[in-house]
Amino acid sequence: MYITRSCLTQILMFRRALYFHIGETEKKCFIEEIPDETMVIGKYRTQLWDKQTGSFLPSTPGLGMHVEIKDPDTKIVLSRQYGSDGRFTFTSHTPGEHQICLHSNSTKMALFAGGKLRVHLDIQVGEHTNNYPEIAAKDKLTELQLRVRQLLDQVDQIQKEQNYQRYREERFRMTSESTNQRVLWWSITQTLILLVTGVWQMRHLKSFFEAKKLV
Amino acid sequence: LLRGSCARAAVAAASFSQSLDSDFTFTLPAGRKECFYQTMRKDASLEIEYQVLDGAGLDVDFSLYSPSGNMLIADYRKSDGVHTVETEDGDYMFCFDNTFSAVSEKIIFFELILDNMEDLEGGDPDWKEYVHGTDMLDMKLEDIMDTINSVKARLGKSLQIQTVLRAFEARDRNLQESNYERVNLWSCTNLIVMVVVSGVQVYLLRSLFDDKRKSRT
Repeated sequence: MYITRSCLTQILMFRRALYFHIGETEKKCFIEEIPDETMVIGKYRTQLWDKQTGSFLPSTPGLGMHVEIKDPDTKIVLSRQYGSDGRFTFTSHTPGEHQICLHSNSTKMALFAGGKLRVHLDIQVGEHTNNYPEIAAKDKLTELQLRVRQLLDQVDQIQKEQNYQRYREERFRMTSESTNQRVLWWSITQTLILLVTGVWQMRHLKSFFEAKKLV
Repeated sequence: LLRGSCARAAVAAASFSQSLDSDFTFTLPAGRKECFYQTMRKDASLEIEYQVLDGAGLDVDFSLYSPSGNMLIADYRKSDGVHTVETEDGDYMFCFDNTFSAVSEKIIFFELILDNMEDLEGGDPDWKEYVHGTDMLDMKLEDIMDTINSVKARLGKSLQIQTVLRAFEARDRNLQESNYERVNLWSCTNLIVMVVVSGVQVYLLRSLFDDKRKSRT
């Protein structure tokens, strides 16, 4: 019964999920800016265009997707092949922009044959990744307790995001102030250089003309 | 009986709140058009909000097509936008177009907010399937539930606002960082040009007079 439930949930989730088309050698990348210690779950489902029936086949065995995830320091966090339907998970250890890239691993040209691959994608971040039925079963919670737990998780996520926001604003302020300072110093330096160059030029030329007995 | 409870459980698990939203940030390469599709049902509403976070002029073309192929919305070279449509059954397509820019790639953030999308019977989320035990309070439970629901809705809204603010901040930060690099680059270039021009001027003038001297003697 539990399996059927989660299966149905999967299908429902994809019915409302976004989809896009991807070419054979194309790589699609998504950026997720997240605080640290945040869990991200990505789920995708692929469909292949079938010329004979003129529609998208439900699933294509043998056609997989390669998922590559990089952390803000462009270090690879996850780089794995998945099947035609896949689920990938990672937890961030540094706050910042993580990049999730997907490309198909099809080596046989015949599979695509000028068609396109339809990819349904759903990315859940933070408290959206929590599976409440599971938590309820594990901790044996009543309905009220479960809902309060859900609220606590939500508030926790908001607080984490706010902390991260404070760190980002600090970085932003530092960059702005540094730019400001550089513009100021450069303007002063530029004016001084111009003045010095002008004076030097006049003096040099004057002594040059005098030496050539023209003045 | 099994299917009914499964369906209810699935609805509950998938839609604890009435509105569903997802956001994505992606890189749109120069000269490319990227399209996304969203399946909608009748009498629901689709709200889409997008922002250009990074890339030269911070602008992009946006268009939204109905399932029958009509262009419902077309924005040209806008930096951000928000649109709401009442939907019918089918797949809505929306596209971000960067073909007007040959060199610069754009980073685009968009958020989809879907309303009234529960498409199974039993719209009232019922988690009684997998909770254990019962709460001792009985009469006031309904009031507590109502309060909790309203708190949850507000927190959800807070999260949404945070997402939008984060996108704004990311755009400002990217703008500042590109300003910083631009200032550095042009300052150095300026310095080199000034020094070179000054040297060339002096050299030219000198060479002018040296030639005259040679032609005289």
